[in-house]
Amino acid sequence: MTPRETLENWQRAGRKVVHEADAKDLLQRIGIPVPKRDPTEGRCVAKLCHDDYPHKSDHGLVRLGLAPEEAQQAAAEMAQRFAGGTPLIEEMEEGSVAEWIIGCKRDDTFGPIVLAGPGGILVELIDAAEIRLAPAGPQTAETMVDSGPGARLLAGLRGAEPADKGALADLISRISVFFAENADLISEIEINPVMVRADGKGLAAADALIVLSPNADEQESLT
Amino acid sequence: MAEPETNRMATRRPSVAQALDGLFDPRTIAVVGASRTKGKLGQAVLALLKSNGYRGKIIPVNPSGGEIEGLAAVRSLDEIDGPIDVVVLATPVGVALDALESCARLDVKAVVGVTSGFSEAGEDGRSNEMRLRRIMQDAPFRLVGPNCEGVVRPATDLQLTFSPMFNGLRPGPVAMISQSGALAGLMALRLGERGVGINAIVSSGNETDLTAADLLEYLGNDPETRVVLCYVEELRDGRRFAEVARRLTQDGKHVVAVKGGRSRAGSRAVQSHTGAMAGDDRVISAVFRETGVIRARESVAAVDAVTALAAGRRPAGNRVGIISVTGGLGVEMTDLAESAGFEVPVLDEATQTALSHYVPFYGSVSNPVDLTGVVLANPTYVGRCLKAVAADPGVDIAIAIITFVPDQQFIEALAEAFDSTGKPILIVWTGAARSNASGEALRERAVPVYDSPARAASGLAALAAMTGEVA
Repeated sequence: MTPRETLENWQRAGRKVVHEADAKDLLQRIGIPVPKRDPTEGRCVAKLCHDDYPHKSDHGLVRLGLAPEEAQQAAAEMAQRFAGGTPLIEEMEEGSVAEWIIGCKRDDTFGPIVLAGPGGILVELIDAAEIRLAPAGPQTAETMVDSGPGARLLAGLRGAEPADKGALADLISRISVFFAENADLISEIEINPVMVRADGKGLAAADALIVLSPNADEQESLT
Repeated sequence: MAEPETNRMATRRPSVAQALDGLFDPRTIAVVGASRTKGKLGQAVLALLKSNGYRGKIIPVNPSGGEIEGLAAVRSLDEIDGPIDVVVLATPVGVALDALESCARLDVKAVVGVTSGFSEAGEDGRSNEMRLRRIMQDAPFRLVGPNCEGVVRPATDLQLTFSPMFNGLRPGPVAMISQSGALAGLMALRLGERGVGINAIVSSGNETDLTAADLLEYLGNDPETRVVLCYVEELRDGRRFAEVARRLTQDGKHVVAVKGGRSRAGSRAVQSHTGAMAGDDRVISAVFRETGVIRARESVAAVDAVTALAAGRRPAGNRVGIISVTGGLGVEMTDLAESAGFEVPVLDEATQTALSHYVPFYGSVSNPVDLTGVVLANPTYVGRCLKAVAADPGVDIAIAIITFVPDQQFIEALAEAFDSTGKPILIVWTGAARSNASGEALRERAVPVYDSPARAASGLAALAAMTGEVA
C-alpha cells in the first residue's frame, strides 16, 4: 500500500486526527527517522496514542524514563484507562542538541505551506518560525534552517554543539513534498518536536500528528 | 496561460493578453450610461475620457440617443457595427447586466464594469451576482471589475474612470493594480505629484473574471513596466499571484504590495501549533518575502517605496551618505537608516576635503554631513556637496536633506548632481510648500523626493530589498 492509499483508507474510515503511532508509521515510510520501537534495554518512553486525545500529556498518557519492563506495564495501565488507544513504547531520545517543530498546512490564500522553527516550549516564540510555500525544495529548506533566530540555536549557542542542519533541511523538504502531493487529503501535518542531534548524527521525530481533510461528501454537507 | 474551466467557448473567448491588449490601446470605446446629466457616473466617464485627450472613437450609449458631449450617441450597443475594443458599464446594475448580455452577441474584447451592486452588496446583490456569473460563464469577452473605478493608461491618453484622481499622469514605469478604486486614486495622485510615471492603472474591483494575478502577469511582463504596485484585500488565486510575482522579481522587476483586510477564514479553529503559528498575516509576509514581493504596511508607505524603485537605480550595497542643511534632520535620517540595517560610514578623505570648501567649522564633514545654513548663501553649494558625496567610492546611496529653498538654481543644481551619477539618490525636501522654487526639474527626472526622513526611509527599505542585504 502506498502512503497515499493509507491516507485514503484513514479518511474513508472517518478518521479526522491520526494519532502519533500511525502518523509515525507513515512518516517512516517516507524516509523520516523515528525513535526505535520496543527496545529491550535503555531508557524508554511509554505513550498511549488515541485519535481523540492528540494532546497526550494533558491526559497523563506519556511516561518518560522507564526501564523496558516498566514501560510495558505503564502502557498496559494506560490502555485500560482509555479504550481504543494504541500503546507506543520507544527508546528515549537523549542525545539531541535542539528540539524543532516542522508543520505543514493549507493556507486559505496561498495553499500548501511549510513551517519550521524552535519546538518544544519554544513554540510559543511565534516570530522564530520560518514559513515557505510547500513543496520546499532542498535549497529552500536549507535557507529555512539558516534564517531567523532559530539559525543561531542550530549553530550552537554559547559553546553548544552545532545541530545536524543537513538532516533537518532534508526532513523539511521531504515532508513538504509529501504534504503538497497529498494536500487534498491532509489539512495539517506536524512533527513536534523533532529531536535534532549533533551535526552528522541525524535526528528523530519524537511526536507527530496528522489532521485529515474531511472527505468530499462531508465537504459538501459543510457548505 | 491556463483558461478557467468555465470557458466553454474557447474559440471566441479572448485570452487575458488579447483582451488587455485591446483594453489598453483601444480603437473604439462604447460608454454605456453616457449622459448629459452632471453627477452621473456615465457623464463623468465620458467627460474625463474626452478631456484627457483620448484620440480613438468614442460611442456614447444612451436610450434617448442624440448627441452627448458633442458625440453621436447610439440607443443601444446592438446599433454598433463592427468590433468594439472596450465597453464601459456605468449605469445602475440592472441596465448594466442587460448591456453585458448584449456584449455576448457582439464583437467585444473587454468590458470595464464600473457599476456596483453585486457580491459586495451582500444579500441585496446576490441575484445580480448570480446573473453576472451566468453571463460570464460563456462570455466571449473579458471583464474588469465590476464595482471598480476603471482603467488608466497615460501613454494612450486612456482615462476610463469617473474619478478625477488620475488626471494628468505622465507615462512611465509603474503599473498599478488595486482592488480598491479609492486607494488607487490616492496612490496615483501621490505618485503623479512626485513625477513618477505610470504605465497603467487597473482598479480591479470584485475581480469576477480578471484577477490581480492575471493583471500582474500581463502588466508585469510589459517591457515598459519596472515596478508593479498592488493593493489587494483578498487574493482569490493567491498561489498563482505568488508564482507570477516570483518570476517577475527573478527577472529584475519589482512588485510592491499592500495587503489590506483579513482573510474571512482566518478565525477558523486550529488543531495544531502549526495552525496557530502560521496565521494569515505571518504567512502573507513570509510568502511575499520568499517570492521577492516588497510588502508595504499601508498605501502611502507603498508609494514611498515605489518612488525609490521607479527611478530605476540599483544600489551596489547598503552604505548611505547623508548631507543635510540642518543637523537635526541629518541625525533623524541616520537613525532611521541604521535601524533599517544600513550603514552610514565615515566618508572618504577626498570627499571630506571637497566638502570642507563649503562647510563652516561648526558643521561636520564626516557622515551625516551637516552643511549648516551657511550653504544657503550660494544656490549651487548643496548640489555640489551632493555630487561629491555621491561620487564617494564608499557610498552606495546618497541622501540630500533640504528645508526651504531660496531660488530655482538651488533645485537645478540638485538635478545636475542626480545626473552626475548612476547611484540611487533620495531627496528629503521638508519645505517644498514654503519655497520659491519649482520641483519640476526633479520630477522630470523622477528623482525620489520625500517630505520627511521617515518617508525617505520607506524608499530606502525598498532599495535594500533589491540588494537582498537588508531584511
